[in-house]
Amino acid sequence: MKPIFKQPGRFLGVLAMGLALVLPWAGSQAAHDIRGITGPTFNLYAFPFNMNLPDGSSVHMWGFGDQDQGANTTHPDNQPGEPNVASTYGLPQYPAPTLIVNQGDVVNINLTNFGVPQPVSIVVTGHQVSASGGVPGLVTQVSRDKNALGGVAETVSYSFTASEPGTYIYHSLNGANPGLHAEMGLQGVLIVRPTGYNAMTNRIAYNEAGTDYDQEFLYLLTEVDPDLHFEIERGHFTHVTGSDRAAAIWFVNGRVFPDLFQGDFNTLFPNQPYQSLALAHPSDKVLVREVNAGHDPHPFHHHGENMFFIARDGRALSSDGGVTADLGRSDNTLNSAPKQAVDMIWTWTGKDLNWDIYGTTTGPLGRADLAHSCSNPACLDGNGDGFDDGSGAACWDVATREYCPDHNKEFPVNLPGAQDLTLGGWWSGSPFLGDTASLPPGEGGLNPFGGYFLVWHSHAEKELTTFDIFPGGSLSSMVILPLALPID
Amino acid sequence: MNKLIKKALPSAVALALLGGANLVNAAVNVQCPGDTDGDSVIDSPDPDHPNAVCKHLIAGDSFAVMSDDNPMYIFGFAERTGDAPGDVIGNGILDAEWPGTTIELDQGDEFYLSLSNVGTVMRPDLFDPHTVHWHGFPNAATVFDGVPEVSISINMGATLTYYYNVLEPGTYMYHCHVEASEHMEMGMLANLYVHPGQDVTGCGTGCAIAGRKGGPGGGAAIGEPEGYTYNDGDGTTGWDVEKPIQVSSFDPDFHDASIFVQPLPFAALEAKYPMINGRGYPQTLWPMAADPLNPGVAEIGAPMDNTAPVAGHPIGKITGTGGEVLNNGSATQTLDSAVTVTQGETLLLRLSNVSVDRFYTLKAQGLPMKIVATGSRLMRGVTGKNIYRDVSSVNFGGGETHDVLIDTTDVAAGTYFLHAAELHQMSNLTQLDGGMITEIVVQ
Repeated sequence: MKPIFKQPGRFLGVLAMGLALVLPWAGSQAAHDIRGITGPTFNLYAFPFNMNLPDGSSVHMWGFGDQDQGANTTHPDNQPGEPNVASTYGLPQYPAPTLIVNQGDVVNINLTNFGVPQPVSIVVTGHQVSASGGVPGLVTQVSRDKNALGGVAETVSYSFTASEPGTYIYHSLNGANPGLHAEMGLQGVLIVRPTGYNAMTNRIAYNEAGTDYDQEFLYLLTEVDPDLHFEIERGHFTHVTGSDRAAAIWFVNGRVFPDLFQGDFNTLFPNQPYQSLALAHPSDKVLVREVNAGHDPHPFHHHGENMFFIARDGRALSSDGGVTADLGRSDNTLNSAPKQAVDMIWTWTGKDLNWDIYGTTTGPLGRADLAHSCSNPACLDGNGDGFDDGSGAACWDVATREYCPDHNKEFPVNLPGAQDLTLGGWWSGSPFLGDTASLPPGEGGLNPFGGYFLVWHSHAEKELTTFDIFPGGSLSSMVILPLALPID
Repeated sequence: MNKLIKKALPSAVALALLGGANLVNAAVNVQCPGDTDGDSVIDSPDPDHPNAVCKHLIAGDSFAVMSDDNPMYIFGFAERTGDAPGDVIGNGILDAEWPGTTIELDQGDEFYLSLSNVGTVMRPDLFDPHTVHWHGFPNAATVFDGVPEVSISINMGATLTYYYNVLEPGTYMYHCHVEASEHMEMGMLANLYVHPGQDVTGCGTGCAIAGRKGGPGGGAAIGEPEGYTYNDGDGTTGWDVEKPIQVSSFDPDFHDASIFVQPLPFAALEAKYPMINGRGYPQTLWPMAADPLNPGVAEIGAPMDNTAPVAGHPIGKITGTGGEVLNNGSATQTLDSAVTVTQGETLLLRLSNVSVDRFYTLKAQGLPMKIVATGSRLMRGVTGKNIYRDVSSVNFGGGETHDVLIDTTDVAAGTYFLHAAELHQMSNLTQLDGGMITEIVVQ
């Protein structure tokens, strides 16, 4: 996440944009990867905490934390825009640390319970896990609260081979009320990189063709019933049966709107390190690992364009023995069932809008400074219609990825004056990509780069609330940025 | 004079004034190539925009009546294409429909959709802007995506014209995205679908030009459908009868909280009036009354206040007077869900779920269902593999659409039910044998 997104004020934004234009970032190979910690050995602990919400309330949670305090973080210090704590981060967190391993790794997770008042465990969907240490629990060995053992910490080791690439859930499962531990926050995601994966040269989600990507984001959906957490905080374990559970707060990556826009490892949210703001350039292939770790289904809708499903529950959707992910279908809304993990590729090109997304010098909203060309040396377009004269294929500009058949087409309508409009905080003042225009005092300011914000959110719209306050809940966004702006 | 209109009169007059050309800053102003008098009807086609299609919607408020006679306050859309600019706000006040006007387009259309905000006169304390969000529009640009937090929305008394270059056929939906949890629960939801170019071209042998575009359209005849659902290239999505089926629900507690100006219960929202196309069974089958102010038995008229106590409310829940007309006198629930097909024909159900609350499972016992598209796209894998699914039920949540074909070749004549699979979704609050049910007659 770029720091400028967090800085209100158009002046700063314009300054930052100027900087971006002089730095040699165009065509940068940098790309976004999911934040997490790498294995194959993880040392986790469990501990309770209170999580702050944007309405000023807090919710009592149980969390897993990284006992190695960020020593194996995927994104060490000095990532642009991230407060400098990723490599020292060790708080109990919601969701649990995202564990990232490679196919074939023998993974060891050592878990110690330093203060959750019930014995906790780890189960990993899609894997055969052996456990040692601790004492037998409901389904596996468990680690009891150190405070209940006279201060002697008890560590359980879970071991498994990450034999298949994909997206998986791990969570605690134990006790008289087995769903309680996930509800309380003891859950996270395991990502297994396929054999042959390389973060720079071979960005693939699976071994199957059609699973390659440019940008990668995690969308972990959960929900919380605050009444239940209130009872647990007071130790009223037997008051909680789950039969009257009714969620009132809905999360993506453990945060709600607008906190979820505010940067990874932001110290404002000490126990919620992961943001949920997806970024892409036009025509980027965006891998979304969309995981419902909650107890309720969520219809999760992606504005801007449909996505193609490539895998479900850590297995590519393939009919040909693993050659291509050919069984995936297209949709704009994921029927996200509890504990289901779906991987998808989403791509926005701006094609066929029938107006120039970078603006024109004439027509409604035309300005001289919007002049630009649409060219590609590999595309021979003598007649200027945007299509290759030989093959008839559409040309795409090399520098901006503009769809040339729409080039220089004027904006189709006049927009009403600002006095007739209500302006969103993320409205740049201009319909053109990468452009900003003047807004009345106090308006806008949250989108200084003129990105296209395309919201990704639960379409059970009541879930766009936090404690009955709209907007809140699982209202996230994708932002299409001009190619010259780096994403990392 | 209608008591309700009287109460709403001051704000209505103010808004109607805004609709005139007296104020520079706020005015009804449609943009439509070839329209010379501002009514959103093309008078002489613009040669630069031969495929232009124009519509004018208003966004405002009104009422709908549930099948147990419980009146619900709604926000919604209605079409005022053809109205002179100065008449739009006056005509649009208390004119909203539930669901909003169905939008039906052809691939290749240039669609100019003007949205005028006529205000919510029953809630003069509100100054809400509105938008149209075309749900599922490909490669959407923020400016026409209708999400107010990241874009623009139109204030009361003014018009915003959206532009869509319509190239992807399919079953979509549209809705207002302003304060989405509230405006959508209040009813700002509607059907939207796009017919494919294949209707005009056909796709070769055994895949004739569609009946709706001048082809043979021979009823049950193979390869001569009335229309195609997508550009399938092989005729497998041909249909003889199509029907949009939009499932939704109202929580009466939410709607009553809105009209009585109380805090809105979002987290507690519950689908207590499950509906198809804005009605609960048996209203799903009712025809429109010729005179909306004097509907016959089992006919849909204008919304009126309840004449018997309902759901804990006395007679006249809204106005105090049972039978009082609650809006401008037009019917608001104009879309039935009755389907009749002749044996051998293929029925296309354009299923969309706009619930803000929960998932539904629809089934049609005795009728073979084939899903050919989800999310407004043909079910083909990345390599083009046909992945249509034969199903006996469809489970979907808010925002999901499915195109379902029912081939009645091997179906016995009779009446079949398309209904929610969950017992408690087949009721109108406490009135049983209602809710999300409609009938498909195979004759």
